[in-house]
Amino acid sequence: MKKKKLGLMLASVLAAGAILSACSKDSSTDGGGADGDKPYEIKWYTIGTPQKDTDKVFEEVNKYTKEKINATVKMTQIDWGDWDQKSQVMINSGESFDIIFTNGTAYVQNAQKGAFLAVDDLLEKEGKALKDVINPDLLEGNKVDGKLYGIPANKEVARQDVYTFNKRLADEYGFDLSKVKTLQDLEPMLKTIKENESGITPMATFKAPLRYDYVVNNEMPFAFPFEGDTDKVINPFDTDDAMQQYKTMRKYYKAGYLKEDAATSKDSWPMDVENWFVRMGGSQPYADLLWSRSAKYEVVSVPSEEPTIINDSVSGSIQAISATSKNPEKAMEFLTLLNTDPYLRNLVDKGIEGTHYKKNDDGTIEDLPARIDGYNMPSYSLGNHFILDLYKDDPKDKWEKFKEFNASAVKAPSLGFKFNSDPVRSELAAITNISQEFYPALATGSVDPEEYLPKFNEKLKEAGLEKVLTEIQKQFDDWKGSQQ
Amino acid sequence: MKSVLKDLYKNRIWLLMVLPGTIWLLLFSYLPMFGQVLAFKKFRIDPDGFFASVINSEWVGFDNFTYLFSTNDAWVITRNTILYNLVFIVLGLVTAVATAVLLNELINKRLSKVYQTSILFPHFISWVIGSYFVFTFLSTEHGLLNMILGWFNADPVSWYNESKYWPFILVIMSIWKGVGYGSIVYLASIVGIDKTYYEAAMIDGASKWKQIKHVTLPMLKPLMIILTIMNIGRIFNSDFGLFYQVPRDSGSLYGVTNVIDTFVYRGLMNLGDIGMSTAAGLYQSAVGFILVMITNYIVRKVDEESALF
Amino acid sequence: MPKLDQTESTLEIASTKGIKKGKTNFSKKFRDPHALHPAANAVISVLLGILAFSCVFPFIYVIIISFTGEESIVRNGFELIPKEWSIDAYRYLWGMKEALFRSYGVTILVTILGTVISVFMITFYAYAISRPQFKYRRFFTFLAFFTMLFSGGLVPTYIVVTQFLHLKNSIWALILPLAMNAFYIIIMRTFFLKSVSESILESARMDGASEWRIFFQIIFPLSLPGIATIALFSTLGYWNDWFTALLYIDNPNLVPLQALLMKIEANLEFMRKNMDVAILQKSLFDTIPQESAKMAMVVIATLPIAVSYPFFQKYFISGLTIGGVKE
Repeated sequence: MKKKKLGLMLASVLAAGAILSACSKDSSTDGGGADGDKPYEIKWYTIGTPQKDTDKVFEEVNKYTKEKINATVKMTQIDWGDWDQKSQVMINSGESFDIIFTNGTAYVQNAQKGAFLAVDDLLEKEGKALKDVINPDLLEGNKVDGKLYGIPANKEVARQDVYTFNKRLADEYGFDLSKVKTLQDLEPMLKTIKENESGITPMATFKAPLRYDYVVNNEMPFAFPFEGDTDKVINPFDTDDAMQQYKTMRKYYKAGYLKEDAATSKDSWPMDVENWFVRMGGSQPYADLLWSRSAKYEVVSVPSEEPTIINDSVSGSIQAISATSKNPEKAMEFLTLLNTDPYLRNLVDKGIEGTHYKKNDDGTIEDLPARIDGYNMPSYSLGNHFILDLYKDDPKDKWEKFKEFNASAVKAPSLGFKFNSDPVRSELAAITNISQEFYPALATGSVDPEEYLPKFNEKLKEAGLEKVLTEIQKQFDDWKGSQQ
Repeated sequence: MKSVLKDLYKNRIWLLMVLPGTIWLLLFSYLPMFGQVLAFKKFRIDPDGFFASVINSEWVGFDNFTYLFSTNDAWVITRNTILYNLVFIVLGLVTAVATAVLLNELINKRLSKVYQTSILFPHFISWVIGSYFVFTFLSTEHGLLNMILGWFNADPVSWYNESKYWPFILVIMSIWKGVGYGSIVYLASIVGIDKTYYEAAMIDGASKWKQIKHVTLPMLKPLMIILTIMNIGRIFNSDFGLFYQVPRDSGSLYGVTNVIDTFVYRGLMNLGDIGMSTAAGLYQSAVGFILVMITNYIVRKVDEESALF
Repeated sequence: MPKLDQTESTLEIASTKGIKKGKTNFSKKFRDPHALHPAANAVISVLLGILAFSCVFPFIYVIIISFTGEESIVRNGFELIPKEWSIDAYRYLWGMKEALFRSYGVTILVTILGTVISVFMITFYAYAISRPQFKYRRFFTFLAFFTMLFSGGLVPTYIVVTQFLHLKNSIWALILPLAMNAFYIIIMRTFFLKSVSESILESARMDGASEWRIFFQIIFPLSLPGIATIALFSTLGYWNDWFTALLYIDNPNLVPLQALLMKIEANLEFMRKNMDVAILQKSLFDTIPQESAKMAMVVIATLPIAVSYPFFQKYFISGLTIGGVKE
């Protein structure tokens, strides 16, 4: 009786599956590519809170693109918090669209899964102008298995972590910030603040950095050193400087320089509340200016490292062409236009001149109230920064400084190397759990590293760390070999 | 063949009644089930759409399942999941039934209504907010519990770092959140109990407690058994928010708060592997299914009418 | 409250005189023969009261937070007695009132439509499988129950809804995926099995009543508590759902209330995880409401549904049932 039931169900499922495949094929092949004179509609999904005036602005955009490349653009924004889940479901379900925003690990994983089109050939033809405009580090650094799978936004290419200080406090106590190079250097200042300022937490919770070139991310135990043998992947947590760094953090934690809940804290420490002395974060040219403006009091930063180009820093903002796109050539044409044509780029970024912003005589712009209200777009995600109009109160040499910053940066050993985790997925799943267990507590000084760091490393070994390191080394050596 | 048609005709009214539901089940539950096959494949995206992707992805057998068994952690999470669920099933049942019975016995019906509405409130509070609430009690710096300890000159406890308290905390929180919702079915059931049973019991001289024991509870038995069987089916699943948000993802507590669902979530954070997540779901479902079939079989042998099917 | 006193005193008389000794000497006007002993009643009232308070208290706390000044929250965290009171959160909500009204509308529409459709489908299905005359009842019970344990998974369901049924950005995408629930079907079936005895139905059938008539005139009134339960569960399910909106709705005009709230929470979470982006693109994230506004949203999203529970309650309190327990 049961067997019959199961059999019946299986049969109906299979039958339904067949119907489904027929139907989904239909819906994905209707329309076809641009035929003859009809403009092709490019479906574009990008990140950010949907804005009220998007339709209005894109009417203008489409007027322009129809003329230039015989295509219109339908842009849909997916909200920040929904982005990861929703975009992944859409991609996995094989939904038909043309361009999608992506970044970081999502970019690499989706590229490896076949979700995006390799654009190298398109770059030679429709995207030729892009090669002149986009920083070659971005194009090289974002290659996955030798091919490029999206168009990166031209902006800062390097990461530079900085220690940011509340300037008023620093001046008040006469701290010489130029002396600050390492975490240890902060100690005397933290002590003074703790003793004298009761309303201020000396350190806005951050995790002690370890300067390595990480393979997955800075919580996972796979990295290349910046000094010494830069071609050998190691476990950065099993090193002397990890122990030293975390011991320092532990000292600070016990002395009360950090909040007690540092390990699990979800505090975002907004800049505009003046209750911290030093914090850490990623910087870019003129960041202090931006931060001081939004904080409404002055902050000043000191670099903790030189600008470094790593896989993470070049993949902060990429627009990829979907493998399900029905007209990738048109999609590439649009991306080329977006990244090289200042009119289009500013239109998409800031809205309609006169409605959302006004242009000054010297070429700078000022926001009109309608912009924050109705068309507030995440600039960093949309494309080439260097053709964006400058605001009136921006430094005149803003983009020059960016280019300088980029030029001065040091390349990480594994820039361009993308690890394919398939052979060691099981181990990686276990290791991720272990790193979530130990890393936040260790890196915020919440536990004693003398006891927990060895425990951490022991557990990692049990979970197959060696196997993963060997696999990474193998893939890296292959990749390095193919680079020569 | 003819007898089949005849049967269908005889049952036509019933078949008509199940028709809308059946169509829904086929569309929304059974049709998507073909995706379960991804548990055995290495998912690669095919430009021709999902169906093509599934068919063309490489078959990898049980590879996607190994991460659920391969480390020491695997034993810990399985143990945690099962133990917590056993406690939840038993305590959940007892508290829901007890609450329903007591609410029903209250003389002042308006008070009973107020209580009923009140105990349902936690159901509306998401675990994100629930975790803030727990934090108010357990925060080392400003938490209420440590404040109270201070009054008694006891040392403050770093709650989010001490595993031993958490099984209790989580069980209490789970019951607290679920008792309002769980008691509703039993309340509705009690209402339907024929009053003559009580009157007969009282004529026999039964006290209130005896009435509850011999009338109310037995009348609730079918529901209790059915719900327990269904809960056993979900014995490998967990309320994610309870085990992830409430302990604030504190690593030091993983030994007692990591369950299969949280392990899968964390493990796949850097992998985004749909095959592995499908495998986990399939594993949980399969185990639950087998357990339900066994339990149902046992129940059927003991008391045919109370079984699920 | 004079009425209670009377009941208590008559109960005392009853307890000393009548009940324990099995005498049935009651005056129906004042005394409920089924009632609890007043002392026990008091104890239970207190116990349940503590439970009820502990359940409502967090919500009161949420309300307090929603009236706390944002800076106070950043500096001191959530406090029971905030150092700084403020109605900024509600002012902020008032500022987005169009979005809120729309969300309310969507939620209410979806909840009502959804509950009606849901109760309809579930009740008929459950009734059919509860009847011994239905030859295929075991099959259909299994059919429903199996889906409780095994599901298709996120992406395949997404595909059925968007590519197969083309429901993306439609209000039906919020209603249909939740319409059936095997758990409710099984519960309803239990109610049907219990609340109706075959003998009554048999005599009705012999009198020539059709199955439909039997259902509507006999079964339905008897199983109101069960149906009310399912209706309540459905209502709660629809009202609280945010996940279907996350998946299937891009159009900001079709976002239900809880989804709006979840979006805000998720956006804040994004901001926390991506502090670099967040700080440098500050103007974007200024529009994300702070903690107090979030709590205010919780208040306005939860109060209506909590307040609606009393409408269902009359089916769950004995002595207040509509329709007789026996004919």
